[in-house]
Amino acid sequence: MKVLRALSTTVGSKFLVALTGLLLVGFLIGHLAGNLLILLGGDKFNAYGHALITNPLVVPAELALMALLLVHMGKAIAHVLRGRSARPEAYAKKSWAGGPSRKSWASTTMALSGIFLLAFLIVHIATFKFGPYYASTEAGVRDLQRLVVEIFKNPLYAAGYVVAMGIVGLHLRHGVSSAFQSLGLMTNGVWTARLLNFGLLLAVIIAGGFALIPVWVYLFL
Amino acid sequence: MTLDSKVPSGPIQEKWDRHRFDSKLVNPANRRKHTVIIVGTGLAGASAAASLGELGYNVLSFCIHDSARRAHSIAAQGGINAAKNYQNDGDSIWRLFYDTVKGGDYRAREANVYRLAQLSVNIIDQCVAQGVPFAREYGGQLDNRSFGGAQVSRTFYARGQTGQQLLLGAYQSMMRQVAKGTVQMFAQREMLDVVVVNGKARGIIVRNLVTGKLERYVADAVCLATGGYGTAYYLSTNAVNSNVTAAWRAHKRGAFFANPCYTQIHPTCIPVNGDDQSKLTLMSESLRNDGRVWVPKNAGDKRHPNDIPESERDYYLERKYPSFGNLVPRDVASRNAKQVCDDGRGVGDSGLAVFLDFKDAINRLGEPVVASRYGNLFEMYQKITDENPYKEPMRMYPAIHYTMGGLWVDYNLMSTIPGLHVLGEANFSDHGANRLGASALMQGLADGYFVIPYTLAHYIASTPVEKITTDHDAFKEAEASVQNRITRMLTVKGSKTPRQLHRELGRLLWDEVGMSRTDAGLKRALARIPQLREEFWQNVSVPGDANNLNKNLEYAGRVADYLEFGELLALDALHRTESCGGHFREESQTPDGEAKRDDENFSYAAAWEYQGVGTAPTLHKEPLAFEHVKPSQRSYK
Amino acid sequence: MKVFLKVWRQAGPDVTGRLVDYTADNVSPDMSFLEMLDSVNETLIAKGEEPIAFDSACREGICGTCGVMVDGRPHGPDPCTTVCQLHMRRYKDGDTIVIEPWRARAFPLIKDLVVDRSAFDRIIQAGGYTSVNTGGAQDANAILIPKTVADEAFESATCIGCGACVAACKNASAALFTSAKVTHLSLLPQGQVEAKTRVVAMVDAMDENGFGGCSNEGECEAVCPKGISLKNIATLNREYRRALLS
Repeated sequence: MKVLRALSTTVGSKFLVALTGLLLVGFLIGHLAGNLLILLGGDKFNAYGHALITNPLVVPAELALMALLLVHMGKAIAHVLRGRSARPEAYAKKSWAGGPSRKSWASTTMALSGIFLLAFLIVHIATFKFGPYYASTEAGVRDLQRLVVEIFKNPLYAAGYVVAMGIVGLHLRHGVSSAFQSLGLMTNGVWTARLLNFGLLLAVIIAGGFALIPVWVYLFL
Repeated sequence: MTLDSKVPSGPIQEKWDRHRFDSKLVNPANRRKHTVIIVGTGLAGASAAASLGELGYNVLSFCIHDSARRAHSIAAQGGINAAKNYQNDGDSIWRLFYDTVKGGDYRAREANVYRLAQLSVNIIDQCVAQGVPFAREYGGQLDNRSFGGAQVSRTFYARGQTGQQLLLGAYQSMMRQVAKGTVQMFAQREMLDVVVVNGKARGIIVRNLVTGKLERYVADAVCLATGGYGTAYYLSTNAVNSNVTAAWRAHKRGAFFANPCYTQIHPTCIPVNGDDQSKLTLMSESLRNDGRVWVPKNAGDKRHPNDIPESERDYYLERKYPSFGNLVPRDVASRNAKQVCDDGRGVGDSGLAVFLDFKDAINRLGEPVVASRYGNLFEMYQKITDENPYKEPMRMYPAIHYTMGGLWVDYNLMSTIPGLHVLGEANFSDHGANRLGASALMQGLADGYFVIPYTLAHYIASTPVEKITTDHDAFKEAEASVQNRITRMLTVKGSKTPRQLHRELGRLLWDEVGMSRTDAGLKRALARIPQLREEFWQNVSVPGDANNLNKNLEYAGRVADYLEFGELLALDALHRTESCGGHFREESQTPDGEAKRDDENFSYAAAWEYQGVGTAPTLHKEPLAFEHVKPSQRSYK
Repeated sequence: MKVFLKVWRQAGPDVTGRLVDYTADNVSPDMSFLEMLDSVNETLIAKGEEPIAFDSACREGICGTCGVMVDGRPHGPDPCTTVCQLHMRRYKDGDTIVIEPWRARAFPLIKDLVVDRSAFDRIIQAGGYTSVNTGGAQDANAILIPKTVADEAFESATCIGCGACVAACKNASAALFTSAKVTHLSLLPQGQVEAKTRVVAMVDAMDENGFGGCSNEGECEAVCPKGISLKNIATLNREYRRALLS
């Protein structure tokens, strides 16, 4: 009870946003690693996909991911709404503070980028997970590589995907280091600097890694 | 009426202990039935509210600010004295007592000062337990520095923000009691009258500064901890909201006002710059630990200080006072600054400043060490003057800072109105004619934490009070008189702003009742003040009305009080024809220009009894006896 | 020099306010920002008009009473400077300056530029202290505290409670204010005893008073006149986490 109550405060809520966010980032890293197999060839990629969807844990894992996402969104939306209601009257003039402030386009658009990413996620799942089923040469194995190639050969889709990954990067650019701050890990100067850099690096790697795939497919496959 | 200081008998070391034992107590179960009003939330008021709340009294606390934490104690920079002798440099309770009596130029009450020195030790312990982050040595022990008027290091400090840290400690303790319900906090309330019922202080009238409504509060006893009256001079180091109103209104109800002419001019303030200046900023006395004070040897030398060679500089404090050097007490340092400026050797555009130079300290200690000691002060200086103290000497000039005078109180901190207690700077008791640096914080906290809990209990336990409510006629009368005054100010609708009148009064007081005073000048002031007062009531402009936040109305009320109080200040200075401490009469000086006391005729505290506006007050004398510290010509040479 | 002002005027909490134009003439570069406002008020009072209500007390940057938005930034453009310490030499002849009050649900407006910040007192009341009664404290040197720790605690303890952090924050969060007190006390052995209950109670009070949550942007740190670091909020989060897990 005590814990539940504590998790409903502004500070506790941000723990949850941070924890779920970091776990989702963890998922993204795994997802990226798997997807990058496409660079090594269609067979490896399809084998990985097959192994993944035939794993009995995949449904619980998907449910868990969905739960993480729901908590992440729910708490984040509540946080934003609470912030809005805490300032009922806007300033006639407001400028950014500059100096040591971490305010950035990334941080000011977290809600927007988040909503965009939700929309992207739905499209993404519809396109790939529930997209056309192509059988591969191997019995019972879905030819996902063919689907991916087909879709990314469309320049509009490929470009759109790259842009979407830019927004993923934007969201993570603030999100990752912000999560470390929310969890109380930035209490000393050296580690604060390291974690800030780490957050930026991770955002670039994840966004860049995912964006690499449509570019690669469009240009080389 | 004879003034009874109620100093307990017995050896001075045992007076306070005996007195505590002889004092009556209030049963813990009964304490919540007793209501105590505390006006002011500075060090004295907040510490008193916290301590009395902890004991279980029903405390009502009032302040004019939006939060108790804003009281001007917060601005004290340098430190707080305590006779801990952590430095093993020869300090003791007796030495702190001796230094304070001597520093006060033998015009303080010995028994009070001894008690203060005794309690100083407990204050530090208490504050550390509260989590006050005092400066520490690498070994983890508390650090000390030296301050003016002492040859030992007994000053505890938290960088240049000691007052802030001590006040926040007291404020937090008080907030703890607010949460517990023993202290009720009434912020944004200005006390405008004390209600006296059957000869005893039983309540106050306050104006709610947000709604403008007058409110009545009844209690068994009232404590004033409302600070000093330095703002009567318009420009001072006090906050712009600090004022004499609460003390003055109490005076008008029968509390004697003692030694108003003892005003402290702080030697190191940023010089005045232009007519629009609203206040003066003090630079902590601690700067004189490492900074060297000098002016050019030749009058009218307008070269940049860095271009003036050593041989043409006059380090006049080191020259005249070799044993104390730059660390002479404040009154001596201030007067010497005035003298060199009067000689035409003052620096800066106005010629009203002296240099305080850190070049040698930076060479000796390195810039990082100097920065760690004074960094925040240097920054503050640079913000105001646009000059960098690491690169060129600071310019300093004395300014009104602290007022040793105040409402007369006995050993129990009770004024001449029974039940009305006065704490901290608002009373007159402990500093004589001059306060030593880092002693104000000590006194405020000693009064609030350690004196009033005992003496107030004794008063409550030994004084039966009638059961009354705020419907009592005395409350009605007091409220009506307050209302009347407010209405009068609003109906003048003249063309002079309260600030113009205040500034004019301030200049007059600074010129004639400032660093050096003469018979003729004081008489000029006494002739001029009633005219200014008249002008106020004929021609002041107070737009708006009284039923909401009206800061100009608040201010006007305070200015009206300065215009009455200023007269008493000048009168007290006129009557005291000797020089002592912060009160320097040009007629009374030694051949080499030092203050010359007249112990035969003036070894007393002058307590004035109000007789009406414009009517000469009655002087009552409390003789001062010095059994332990023999008065001598103070020498810091 | 001369500057043009757009000042928020609002006669009371329940009436609508608006920006009103004023001109400050004869402004000297050595004036502080509030002295410039004083001079505008002097002109208004002499004409029998109500002056602009704004808060200030010590005018040396330590009491935390003053504080207004100056061109959309709390306390004006200079870092680590309260508006009473801001000087007009920062401005040029002919500049236009917009002056507004702090805006937050937890800081209801009283008049013009004056707001009610008593919510900060209530946060401290919830636990911003050590529960020691007067008397009975042991010798001050009985517990040794490393200088570095004492210095760090001091840094956090220098918060002046002006509310600039709340004013700058897009969520009107009081996280920096609250965390400064939590950090100050949690660093010291004297504050350790109640560390866990304190942080929980103070966060509850922060929420109950209508402040928003922290988005970790750090605008508060950038505008804090005392340079209170964002590390304090991280420490608050850490202390809260520890309280939660025990």
